[in-house]
Amino acid sequence: MITTTSSYEIAGWADTRTRIRNSKMVVTGLLLLSLFALLAFIHPVLQATIWSDSQAVYRPVTGHDPLISHPSGPSVDHLLGTDPLGRDVLSLMTYGLRPTFLVAVAVALSAGTVAMIVGTSAAFFRGRYDRVMTHVADAVVLLPPPLVFLIASKRGLLGPFELGLLYGLFAGLGSAAIVVRSRALAIMAKPFIDAARSVGGGPRWIIAHHVLPGVIPHVAVVVLASVVGALVTQGFVEYLGIFEYRYGLGNLVYNAITYQRALGTGVPWSALMAGALGISLLASAFYLISSGLRQVIDPRRSGRRA
Amino acid sequence: MVRFVSRRILWGLVTLFLVVTIAFFAVNLLLPYDYAVVLGQRPRPIEQLRQQLGLNRPLWVRWLEYMWGFVRGDLGESYDGYRVTTHISAVLPATVALFAVGGVVAYLFGEWLGRLVAWSRSRVLGATSSTLSVLFFSAFPPFLVFVLLYFGRDRVFQVRSWFGLGPVGGPMPLGPVVTVLAVGLPVALIAGVGLRSWARRQQRRVLGLLAIPLGVAGLVIGLLASGLWAEAINRLLWPGAVVSAVALILIAFGETMLVMRAGVDAEMTEDYVFTARAKAVPGRLIRDRHLAPNAALPAISRLFTSIPYLLGGLVIIEAASGMPGLGSVFLGSIETGDVPVIIGIIAVIGIIGLALRIGLDAVQAVIDPRIRTDGGRP
Repeated sequence: MITTTSSYEIAGWADTRTRIRNSKMVVTGLLLLSLFALLAFIHPVLQATIWSDSQAVYRPVTGHDPLISHPSGPSVDHLLGTDPLGRDVLSLMTYGLRPTFLVAVAVALSAGTVAMIVGTSAAFFRGRYDRVMTHVADAVVLLPPPLVFLIASKRGLLGPFELGLLYGLFAGLGSAAIVVRSRALAIMAKPFIDAARSVGGGPRWIIAHHVLPGVIPHVAVVVLASVVGALVTQGFVEYLGIFEYRYGLGNLVYNAITYQRALGTGVPWSALMAGALGISLLASAFYLISSGLRQVIDPRRSGRRA
Repeated sequence: MVRFVSRRILWGLVTLFLVVTIAFFAVNLLLPYDYAVVLGQRPRPIEQLRQQLGLNRPLWVRWLEYMWGFVRGDLGESYDGYRVTTHISAVLPATVALFAVGGVVAYLFGEWLGRLVAWSRSRVLGATSSTLSVLFFSAFPPFLVFVLLYFGRDRVFQVRSWFGLGPVGGPMPLGPVVTVLAVGLPVALIAGVGLRSWARRQQRRVLGLLAIPLGVAGLVIGLLASGLWAEAINRLLWPGAVVSAVALILIAFGETMLVMRAGVDAEMTEDYVFTARAKAVPGRLIRDRHLAPNAALPAISRLFTSIPYLLGGLVIIEAASGMPGLGSVFLGSIETGDVPVIIGIIAVIGIIGLALRIGLDAVQAVIDPRIRTDGGRP
């Protein structure tokens, strides 16, 4: 295994902020992410105001517009059209973003915590503990978290949040912990660690004030990267219809594909695109932020065009 | 060198032991009582079933028994009475063939595109290719498969008609010919890639361009000679197989392309490139012989580290396109709660990933002697 020594220096926050703002990838990703957050947020608002008609045409799962034939393309009443079952696609899509965001948050939380604790402590304490942890991480890398997610979703006992936590546990113990450990090792070799030790800094002080601040950006990078896989996997599990709820973005794709075959209605592209592009774009938002951030904190890798 | 590789393999066995142990406990804890579903009509009371399957013993006893079987190459017995190894070896060739072709082609395409884009320094080309690769990397596989099938099925049928084959649908039938393809296709492709890089080093451009076609032609001649050609081409041009391969390539090429592009970009300002330019070495040669090998190393290791992710993606692709393979068996076993088969498939994926990684480490140790001093510890 190659361990790359990083050229990481703790730069001033102001400098980092400018570089983040100048990074096209991060900015695009953040814009996409906030667009989806906004979409998820306006659903209850619209439900309470514009969509609050008595026939409940716009209710996400059970709504049905009796006035037109389905599926229908985009129109004034239904901005993204209706799916083969006659439900408003925009309403379904914005409602379906909730479990997706739940998974994203859960994965980020658990993967971040696990990777940070395991990676940093392994690099700090070294010795036998480090060797054991590295072996465990090497083994977990070979267990794809998507497969664990699929197995765990079978019984329907775990909700999206719990499944996200589980996905994050496997992602965090595996590749993420390896990356964080190598970054923490690079920091441990810096002179300021020796300086902190020689003035009497204890392990807790050194980890909290010297190691963690340098490690956290790298944690963010690997965690955001693992969210991408989690979102695609969740979409697939919804597509298979394993989850308790039936309103996810994956369900939207499944309904669009299946019912057009069964009913022979022709492909409802707007419903298909809303589901599939929803998953893909939200996942790519996390991917863009992750790789953009990697370039920001490790500018050596991003090319040295003077 | 031998010392390094043998040590690496020894540590690999420790890792494998951990993989199987973690998989055993994780799957058993996540799917505890679902074996009853497999046996369907429940001819006997559940307690009797558990007795018969040996599931009433403590988990650690079953783990010891499983590990003892694993050491002897036995993955246990499926709840439907067959050996797990029978289940897996029936579909493994299809998955290996698909994964090898998809992986190699995706790597070659990504490497070529990344090199080209970084070298051209065109902003439009760079932005377009990055956007596309990011979109495909995060694309939703069932949707991708559906769109490819929707628009591509007629094209595939057209190509089939050139070979005198009629349109087909449904899951691809397996058979010994799939095993032949699973061995033959990777060998032909890797031989082609090896020949290409050798030809480049010898500055034989024509041979370099023809290397991969030559490898494929060798496979075709072998198939024609052995009389398997008709069966093989029928399976190679199965709509599900073509669509799965294309989907895998689209999903996998982006990472390689981005890493390669960043690598070439970073290497372009190195002193050796400057020197080569000063000596009036042609641009093509600088790009392909000086820059590309240096930039390709991180791209290859990235591809290898993302193999578990890609195998997970392949499971999804196979399930969406109705291809028989590890993925469809895996999903079917989750559906029925067939725990031994699930653990077996995870173990096989672990073995494949581990073997490829050890192979990569050995190759890198040959290229870069600094790695060898590490003692082979991961």
